[in-house]
Amino acid sequence: MKNAEAAPLSGLEPLESAIDAQIRSNQIDVPMLPEVAGRVVRLTQDPKSDAMQLAKLIQSDQILAGHVMRVANSALYSPNATLISLQQAIARLGMKLISEIALAASINSSLFNAPGFESHIQYEIRYSLLAGLWAKEIARACRRNVEAAFLTGLLHDIGRPVATQTIISVAKDIKFTIDKRSLISLEDKYQRAIGVKVVEQWEMPQIVIEVVRHFDDYQNAGDAIKPTMIARAGAEFADHFMCEQGQEGCLTRDQLVVQPVLADLDLYQDEILEILEKEPAVQSAMEALQA
Amino acid sequence: MSQTISFDLLVIGSGPAGQKAAVEAARNGASVALIEKTRELGGACVQRGTIPSKTLRENALRVKNMRMNAQIANFKLAEDMELATLINRLSEVLEAHDNYMRKQLQRSGVELIHGRATFVNEREIQVENVSGTKQLYRSQHILIATGSHPRKPDDIPIDHEHLFDSDSILSMLYLPKSLTVLGGGVIASEYASIFQALGVKVTMIDKYPRPLGFLDDDLTDTFISGFHHMGGTWKGNTKITRCFWNGIDAVVTECDDGSVISSDKLLCAAGRVANVKELHIENAGLQLNQRGLISVDDQLQTDVAGIYAAGDVIGPPSLASASMEQGRRAACNALQIETGNMHNTIPAGIYSIPELSSVGLSETQAREKYGDIFVGTARFDEIARGQISGIQNGLLKIVCAKDGKTILGVMIVGEGATELIHIGQMALLNQCSVDFFVETIFNFPTLAEAYRAAALEIIHARKLRA
Ligand SMILES: Cc1cc2nc3c(=O)[nH]c(=O)nc-3n(C[C@H](O)[C@H](O)[C@H](O)COP(=O)(O)OP(=O)(O)OC[C@H]3O[C@@H](n4cnc5c(N)ncnc54)[C@H](O)[C@@H]3O)c2cc1C
Repeated sequence: MKNAEAAPLSGLEPLESAIDAQIRSNQIDVPMLPEVAGRVVRLTQDPKSDAMQLAKLIQSDQILAGHVMRVANSALYSPNATLISLQQAIARLGMKLISEIALAASINSSLFNAPGFESHIQYEIRYSLLAGLWAKEIARACRRNVEAAFLTGLLHDIGRPVATQTIISVAKDIKFTIDKRSLISLEDKYQRAIGVKVVEQWEMPQIVIEVVRHFDDYQNAGDAIKPTMIARAGAEFADHFMCEQGQEGCLTRDQLVVQPVLADLDLYQDEILEILEKEPAVQSAMEALQA
Repeated sequence: MSQTISFDLLVIGSGPAGQKAAVEAARNGASVALIEKTRELGGACVQRGTIPSKTLRENALRVKNMRMNAQIANFKLAEDMELATLINRLSEVLEAHDNYMRKQLQRSGVELIHGRATFVNEREIQVENVSGTKQLYRSQHILIATGSHPRKPDDIPIDHEHLFDSDSILSMLYLPKSLTVLGGGVIASEYASIFQALGVKVTMIDKYPRPLGFLDDDLTDTFISGFHHMGGTWKGNTKITRCFWNGIDAVVTECDDGSVISSDKLLCAAGRVANVKELHIENAGLQLNQRGLISVDDQLQTDVAGIYAAGDVIGPPSLASASMEQGRRAACNALQIETGNMHNTIPAGIYSIPELSSVGLSETQAREKYGDIFVGTARFDEIARGQISGIQNGLLKIVCAKDGKTILGVMIVGEGATELIHIGQMALLNQCSVDFFVETIFNFPTLAEAYRAAALEIIHARKLRA
C-alpha cells in the first residue's frame, strides 16, 4: 500500500520497521467487532430477516440493547413517546436505522486498547460517525447509493484507531517512547493498509472494503469510484464541522465548498449550500447516536 | 469574468440530441461549443436511462432463460444479490461509450465546456463551472438540448433510499424482495418487467386501465399476460391515495380501492419534465408551453429566432433515437445546411420483457382515421422459429389501408420486436405494398417470417372482400 511504502519518518525508523513487519506478516491485532454488531449488519442485509429477529439479536447484548433504547428514546427519534421495548423501538424506527445505531454504538473507544490516547480515539470515532451521516445526505443529493453511504462513511477511517493501538503496542514491545505528534504521523502513514484488513476481517460488504481501500485515491477506485467519492465528501463535511473554526488546518466553509471531490461529484456551489442546510438534522442525528 | 467568447453554434447538453448536433455542425465547418454540466457525456441516455436499464435487462433475460431451462442447469439467483453484480458490465460499456464520444467530439473539433449554462439574453450564455467560475459565450445560433428529469409528484416522498425515481433506481444496493412501480408508461413497464424477471415481486399500479395505452389492446394484453406469467401483478384503474416509508421495513402504498400494498422499495415513474430550471429561458424571451416543454416549429426553431431546441426538452416521442435526429437537423437548420426529408415515421421501442415495438399507425388510430382497414396478425407460437426458441409469447400485426395493400403501421410484441420492426419500417417508408412481404423470401426459420404470415392474412381477406 502506498502509504506504508513511503520513506521512513526520521527518528522513528526502529518503530516503523517493527510495524512494517507486523503488517507484512499479517499480525495486526484487529479488534473483534462485537459479534452481535456484525450479525446486526448481516441480518439487515438479509432479505429474509424480520424485525423480530433483529430485536432478539440486540437483546442478546445488554449494553448494546441499552444503548439502542437510549437513542431510540432521544428527543430526535421519539419526541413525544417513551419506548419501552426493543421491538417497539424497531417497529418505530425501522430495521435499517436500528442497525445503524447498533453499529455506531459498537464502534466505540472500548473496542480499542490505546492507553493514554483514549480522547484521540474518541475524537476519531466521532469524526467517522459524522462522516457517515453527511455521506448519506450527499448520496441523496447525488441520487447515488444512499444505503451504503452511512456504512462507508462510518468505516472509512477505521484503520486509524487500530493503527494507534498497533503503534502503542509495538512501541511498548520495543521499549520506544512515543509522543503524540509522532504517533499521529505514523497513524497517518499506516492507517489505510490497516483499515482494509479491519473491514476484511469484519466481513463488511464488498463495497465498504473497496471504499476503504481507495479512499485516498478515489480516481482509481474503478467501479467503486462514486461510493468512494461520496464517503470522501462526507469526510470533508465532517472535517469542516468537527474542527474549531479559526484553528490551524481547519477546513473553513469556503474551503469546503471548493473541495475537488465535490466538483468531481458534479456538485455546484448552490447544490453544496443546499446540502449544508441539512446541518441541524445531521447534528441532531449525531447527538442522538451518541446519547 | 473574462471576455465573451464567440462560436457559430452553442449547444447546451451532451445527450443524444446535443452531441449529434455539435458533431454535425462542426463537420460542416462551423465553430461549435458543447456545454455540459456533468463531467460525464451522454446525458440521461448514457448515464441514467437507456444504456444502464438495457444492461440490467440483458442480465434479467439471462436469469429468466436460466430459470426456464432449470432442467438443464439447476439455477437459483442468490437471495442477497447486489444490484451492481447484475449491471456488471455497465462501467465498461459506459467508459467505452464515453471514450468514443469524446474522441468523436475532439476529432470534429467541438470545444467541450464543462459547466452549467444560463441564458443572459437571446444571444449570450453564461457558463458557471463546478468551482463557481463564470464565463460568457455568444452565438447567433443556440441549441437547447438539456433533456428531461423524472417528474416528482408532490405526494410521493421520494428519498432515493426507499422510494426511488428512474434516475436513482439502479443505485439500490441489493435486489429487493418486492417492488411497487407507480405508472404504466414506457419506463414503468420496462423496469417492472425487468425486476419481475429477476425474481422480484413486482406490483405495477396505474390510474389507466392498461399499461402503454398508446398501443393496441392485443399487444398490451400480451405484455400483461407475460408479466402475470412471470409472477407480477398489474393493478389498472387504481389511484394512489397515500404512499410512504413506514419507518420499519416497508414502503406502504394505499390505493383508492382500499387496497394497501407493502413492498421493500418503490419506483415512481410518473413521467418526465423538461430540464430548464437552470437555463433561465425567460432571459432569452422564451417561455414553456402548457405541457412544461419548449415549443418548436418544423425547423426545430423556438419562438425566438436563432434559438433551437431538440430532444426530450421539446417532448414526445422522447426517445434517444429521435433526439439524435432532431439534434442533427436543428444544427443543420440553424446553419443552413441541406438535410433531406425528416421522416415522421419513427419507430417506438419498449424494452420490457417481452419487448414491444411499433411504427406508423396502430390499429386503433387507423380505424379512427380511416374507418375501414385490413389487419393481419401472426402469433409467434405459430412460427417455427418461435416454437424452436421458446419465444411463443409474441405477436406481429400489420395494419393496411382500405385497398388492402398500403401499409399504415406495424406493431410487434415478443423478444426481438425492436429489431424486427425495422423490416416493417423500411417497407412503410418505401411505400411497399403488403404483397412485398409475401413475394420476398425470408430466411427459415426466423421470426421475420411472421411478416409473411400476417401479410398473407391480409391478402386472403382482401381477396374475400373483392
Ligand atoms: C430509464 C430510461 C430508459 C430509456 N430507454 C430508452 C430506450 O431504450 N430507447 C430510447 O430511444 N430512449 C430511451 N430513453 C429515453 C432517452 O434516454 C431520452 O429520450 C434521451 O436521452 C433524450 O436525449 P436529450 O439529448 O434530449 O437529453 P438528455 O439525454 O437528457 O441529455 C441532456 C443533457 O443536458 C445536460 N444539461 C441539462 N441542463 C444543462 C445546463 N443548464 N447546462 C449544461 N448542461 C445541461 C444534462 O446534464 C444532460 O447531460 C430512456 C430514458 C430513461 C430515463
